[in-house]
Amino acid sequence: MSSTSSTISSIRVSARTSRAGRIAGVLGRQPLLVVGIIVVIIWIIAALLASQIAPFEPLAQDVRNRVQPPSAAHLGGTDELGRDVFSRVLYGGRITIPAGILVIVFGSLLGSAMGALAGFLGGIWDEVIMRISELFMAFPTIILAMAVTAALGPDIRNAIIALVVVWWPGYARLMRGLVLKVKSNDYVEAAYCVGAPRRYILLRTIIPNCIASVLVMTTLDIGNAILTFAGLSFLGLGPEPTSPEWGRMIAVGIDYFDQWWTWLYPGFAIASLVIAFNFIGDGLRDIFDPRLR
Amino acid sequence: MTFFRYIARRVLFTIPILLGITLVSFLIANAVPADPINVNLPQSQLNNPEIVAAFRAEWGLDKTPVEQYLTYLGNLAQGNLGRSIKTRQPVAEDIARFLPATIELATNATALGIILGVGLGVASAVWRNQWIDFAARTLAVIGVSVPVFVLALIFLSVFHAQLGIAAGPGRLDFTMDEPAMLTGLFTIDSLAAGRLDIFANAVAHLVLPSLVLALYVAGLISRVTRSSMLEVLGMDYMRTARAKGVRESLVVMRHGLSNALIPILTVIGLSYGNLLAGAVLTESIFAWPGIGRYMFRASTSQDFPAIMGVSLLIALIYVVVNLVVDLLYYFVDPRIRAN
Repeated sequence: MSSTSSTISSIRVSARTSRAGRIAGVLGRQPLLVVGIIVVIIWIIAALLASQIAPFEPLAQDVRNRVQPPSAAHLGGTDELGRDVFSRVLYGGRITIPAGILVIVFGSLLGSAMGALAGFLGGIWDEVIMRISELFMAFPTIILAMAVTAALGPDIRNAIIALVVVWWPGYARLMRGLVLKVKSNDYVEAAYCVGAPRRYILLRTIIPNCIASVLVMTTLDIGNAILTFAGLSFLGLGPEPTSPEWGRMIAVGIDYFDQWWTWLYPGFAIASLVIAFNFIGDGLRDIFDPRLR
Repeated sequence: MTFFRYIARRVLFTIPILLGITLVSFLIANAVPADPINVNLPQSQLNNPEIVAAFRAEWGLDKTPVEQYLTYLGNLAQGNLGRSIKTRQPVAEDIARFLPATIELATNATALGIILGVGLGVASAVWRNQWIDFAARTLAVIGVSVPVFVLALIFLSVFHAQLGIAAGPGRLDFTMDEPAMLTGLFTIDSLAAGRLDIFANAVAHLVLPSLVLALYVAGLISRVTRSSMLEVLGMDYMRTARAKGVRESLVVMRHGLSNALIPILTVIGLSYGNLLAGAVLTESIFAWPGIGRYMFRASTSQDFPAIMGVSLLIALIYVVVNLVVDLLYYFVDPRIRAN
């Protein structure tokens, strides 16, 4: 008896190590995925600990030291009001990273719900939801977002709302396709046969089998959301002008074009973060999509 | 015959889409608390109820939304897009003035992006998992990840301000006269007028903004090219071609690339449509008087007629680009032709 259980536990242990080994193996074949994860973690830590790491307050002005080049005191130089660029870049992650994540979270939730309903209910619901999503997709992302933020008034919350309005149709279409595919499986048929209620079938039988693909899409998408948010903010349709947001800092920095540090450092921040997220997204897609292996 | 019926059906299908677009843009423009009066009238006139009322009457703002929408559709049926509140010109004329600049930029950028992107993508697939593949893929990720406005600033700073080897913002130097309006594309108009100096200047000004956009486009195209080529390279007919002793370059290009073209065409069409419609970030940094900047100005001043006009134009561009891509499928793939 005891020998059986010890055998079982040793099998468990070996299964666990082999899983850890598998993950290590997969990561070893995806060096860019690892780089991406590390860079994203660094930016998140920088944003979380900004108040501890940053040598200056992000809004503290020092007009006598305006647009000074990088120095030992000001690693990233100072901007047009003498604020420390390095500190502002660190604080900037507190706006841009959550904004990008919120856009993807709300966009994917709204889109998936709509898509699931369209695919599950079919008929007129499917037609109406899909035609509406097509109308929203007929606009280029930044143009539609621009129209919505301009209409609602420029601030962070409205920029996020605008991007959710732009983002949901992609998820609706993905989710609808997935639900239609899963719906035709025998186990869904079986659930109907044993008399499970429709809501139970949708929430417990169908949706859990669709979530993995949606999650992969969200990681592929998050860099894009950050990029578009920074673009809106660059155009003045996001956070208020004084706020330490990367896109905003670049827009202000253009007036001090020759003082490159005013726009290059926030630019580097956006670029490195988006590249990192795209490395992660690509890596996960390669892992989950065996056709591309 | 079936070919023309197919086109006719596609064109008919676009009508409900365009109607839907007018509805969405009208709803976005109207379902909001913002009032165009606050943006478009100076403070001194806002306090004068007569002027405000006259402004409302002039732009139809005193009518109910349903009436406004129906009036707009009525005018639209007669080819009238209305008058821009901001520029006070007919929207159609504004579009005719701003669109050529965008077309010139988007076309150049896309051409450059295709050359770069297809080249990198093919190389990436042929030398899969070797250093060239790694480099090309990294370049592609960077191309789609670095914000165009950051890349634009870096290029302007390095190639224009520091090295002085590229022209700065704008379509021409300030000292240059615009060529006589023919197509609105400065490169073509200047050649037609026989002004090589203007042509050279226009090309010089096109280089940096085209390059910035082309890197993004090349990133998109090379990723699709790579995966599409990888699929094709594993096919039996590739082995057959090699077994017959066909030259490797011919195998890759004729047997490989021509069979991998369909997804590549799709992404090219998609990105060309996007550049024609939404290059607002690049246009604003390079002071490029294109449709993106026009739309930006319109949307920040609640210029409803202009917003709706541009939205319609953009939807139309998408429809036309998609149609052209579908027609290209028809020529590229004999199987589609047979059906």
